[in-house]
Amino acid sequence: MTPLVALKGISKSFVGVRVLNSVDFDVRPGEVHALLGENGAGKSTLIKIIAGVHAPDAGEIIIGGQPAKFANPGQAVKAGIAIVYQELLLFPELSVAENIFLNHAPRLSWGGLDWAQMRDKSRALLDDLDSHHLDVDAKVGSLSVANRQRVEIAKALSQNARVVVMDEPTASLAEVDVQQLLAIVRRLRSRGVGIVYVSHKLPEIFALADRVSVLRDGNYVATRDIKDVTERSLVAMMVGRSIDQLFPKEEAQIGAPRLELRNVSHGKAVRDISFTLRAGEILGVAGLVGSGRTETALTIFGITPATAGEILIDGRPVQIRSPQQARDLGIAYVPEDRGLQGLVRPQTIAENISLTVLRRLSRAFIVDRGKEVTLARDFIKRLGIRARGPGQAARQLSGGNQQKVVLAKWLAAEPRILIMDEPTRGIDVGAKSEIHALMSKLAQSGLAILMISSELPEVLGMSDRVLVMNGGRIVAEIDRNDATPETVGAAMTLVRDQEAAA
Amino acid sequence: MTASLRSLLLRHETILGVLLILALIALAWQSDRFFTADNLLNQGRLMAEVGLVALAMTFVIVTGGIDLSVGSILGLVAILLGVFWQNMGIPLPIAMVLGILVGGIAGLVNGIIITRFGVPPLIATLATLALYRGLAEGISQARSVRGYPDWFFTLGQGEVLGVPTQLWIFGLLALIAAVILGLSTFGRATYAIGSNAVASRFSGLSVDRTLLLIYMASGLIAGLAAVIFVSRVSTTRSDMGTGLELDVITAVVLGGTSIFGGRGTIIGTLLGLVLMQALKNGLALAGVKGDGTIVVIGAVLIGTILISNIFRKDADG
Ligand SMILES: Nc1ncnc2c1ncn2[C@@H]1O[C@H](COP(=O)(O)OP(=O)(O)OP(=O)(O)O)[C@@H](O)[C@H]1O
Ligand SMILES: [Mg+2]
Repeated sequence: MTPLVALKGISKSFVGVRVLNSVDFDVRPGEVHALLGENGAGKSTLIKIIAGVHAPDAGEIIIGGQPAKFANPGQAVKAGIAIVYQELLLFPELSVAENIFLNHAPRLSWGGLDWAQMRDKSRALLDDLDSHHLDVDAKVGSLSVANRQRVEIAKALSQNARVVVMDEPTASLAEVDVQQLLAIVRRLRSRGVGIVYVSHKLPEIFALADRVSVLRDGNYVATRDIKDVTERSLVAMMVGRSIDQLFPKEEAQIGAPRLELRNVSHGKAVRDISFTLRAGEILGVAGLVGSGRTETALTIFGITPATAGEILIDGRPVQIRSPQQARDLGIAYVPEDRGLQGLVRPQTIAENISLTVLRRLSRAFIVDRGKEVTLARDFIKRLGIRARGPGQAARQLSGGNQQKVVLAKWLAAEPRILIMDEPTRGIDVGAKSEIHALMSKLAQSGLAILMISSELPEVLGMSDRVLVMNGGRIVAEIDRNDATPETVGAAMTLVRDQEAAA
Repeated sequence: MTASLRSLLLRHETILGVLLILALIALAWQSDRFFTADNLLNQGRLMAEVGLVALAMTFVIVTGGIDLSVGSILGLVAILLGVFWQNMGIPLPIAMVLGILVGGIAGLVNGIIITRFGVPPLIATLATLALYRGLAEGISQARSVRGYPDWFFTLGQGEVLGVPTQLWIFGLLALIAAVILGLSTFGRATYAIGSNAVASRFSGLSVDRTLLLIYMASGLIAGLAAVIFVSRVSTTRSDMGTGLELDVITAVVLGGTSIFGGRGTIIGTLLGLVLMQALKNGLALAGVKGDGTIVVIGAVLIGTILISNIFRKDADG
């Protein structure tokens, strides 16, 4: 079978640093070809070459047997290639329908935009993705990450692509949504579409892929049929060593209450939340997308201050009306959307990390650049951030490494209460277990950690206790020993059914 | 790399510097009256008001905003200076301080409209451009104020150690602005807000307070420019400073500050300012009409920005 797209001997360097080194890759019709590798291995770069965003320094692209050269992304789209990017590239001020049909809007006979058809087609595409609740007229900026991802997928589908490339499409989706997405991918495959699928979640790869290819440090390692590999062998191919323990949870001394919420509410999203977080504890928060987990975090962090109820820190009632106050009270929040909320992308790694501690790094209001760079160097080493140095722009980092920079920024603030919203989203297996180990260590040193995660294994593996949220309320509190996929999963979905029935 | 980033930022300024030298050579060659100490100092005098306002405008534009009302604030403060002193009998030094404070309040009002009510800076300051000018005209009733005491003119017409007084003030404030924007925590916040206001807020920076301070400073400094302006031309009229904002914005953007925010330096603004003033003066001396000068400045603006964009793309990969 001729591949739809084949890459041969692709190399690419950025400012003299080699990112891809003679990589071969192909996609056949009706297959899912997974692309794996650590953060910064070069997956997204390879995809951007397929997409015509970057031109390769060497090697060729062959489309349906014919050599091709893309001068710009438009030409790749014409050749039937659609991309769902890792960092969502939608326009927040435009509506869902406008975003989907940005470059290829249906036209009326006189050349004007056919709004009715545009909205109808968008509706159909979204329905196809089982997103019936998503309003085609809503501004994309007002949507959750999960919904924005769906818009991005609908956009790719709207271009009638023969090859669909998905760069970590499930990184921001909850389990149910992941299942829906996998179903969509299978449907596309059965229509003969070739799919390139990048993900750090191995179970997904095994559920979906026909073949896997692995990159390591920009080098092509191997391509295998999925039946010829195991999780262990894949990890070893990616990391170059084996990882023994997936969730390195260690017992920590659980101390006095650090953060206490009493009947805290904010609008409809946060209703009557009460819980206690203790020093040394990792409190997991599970729930579906839209269950109010992030909203609760935002309320604690002062972005959307509580309209009712009481927040106590170390047993003393506090008012948190802004993120500055929250930070000064020792609260840190690693946000869910790193591109929008976490990073100042054009600035350097050092400038990003120092943002939370500018005051501490300065003397008489003048920032001490020496200290700033030292701080960044420390964190680059401590978290294993793959970067050229503290002076590299955050925007140039791979997705997982960007996440580590956001984490570094908040660890630099030396918080006493750390709220992590999807802490390992888009982070590779190796780095993930490093971050988990770090969380364990931080907890042991007395930090109180509130961990919001859509990844059930992470919640179960790392938490001392699990809160389950649903419809803006806490519907269950489950101890580590009783927390199983069944108990937590049931609590996550149960009330939703009840509410639907009511 | 910090080094490579810095060379990147410097690059626009390097281009400008080279361009400036070329322009100076060409202009000096065109007219032998151009490159004389007298002419240059006099040009410095003329440049000071636009320059002062451009310092604050650099901050404003780095945050991704704009302040169109500066010319009107200048007009309003100029009128009020006359009214405070002549009509209300307030001693002139106090009237000067009061005038500058009114400028600050006008700027603060801009800031409040922008941060509290979320009005885009372009629209907010377009509205206050009309409002403040209207106030100035209403208050002045088309009368002008003259007859200021002699000591007052040292500010706008006098010299200290052979250099126009206002150039000293401008130099000092430029230095302070450069240190604040380039080296201080406030400058960091300014850049961060211009690049990503949401992430800045999520990092615990006080975005609103920073913006308020910047717009207030813009008004204050426009007030100061107004006092210098009045002192330089010896009289007060309500149409003073009309169109000033365009010169100011041109100088800042010519200096490499991105109108989208997040990027720009005081050094760049200074180079842009000097280049603009040199072109204006040199071309006038060479006998080019006012319209022609505007065309040349426009062409230089587009040219430098295109060139530095090409360099930036290259460096980005
Ligand atoms: N525009 C750029 N300029 C300089 N370096 C870049 C640029 N884009 C990517 N890189 C570098 O190329 C390397 C590969 O990045 P890439 O985004 O392809 O990784 P990835 O495999 O997709 O990782 P992740 O799993 O974290 O998304 C990284 O080290 C990154 O810093
Ligand atoms: Mg990537």
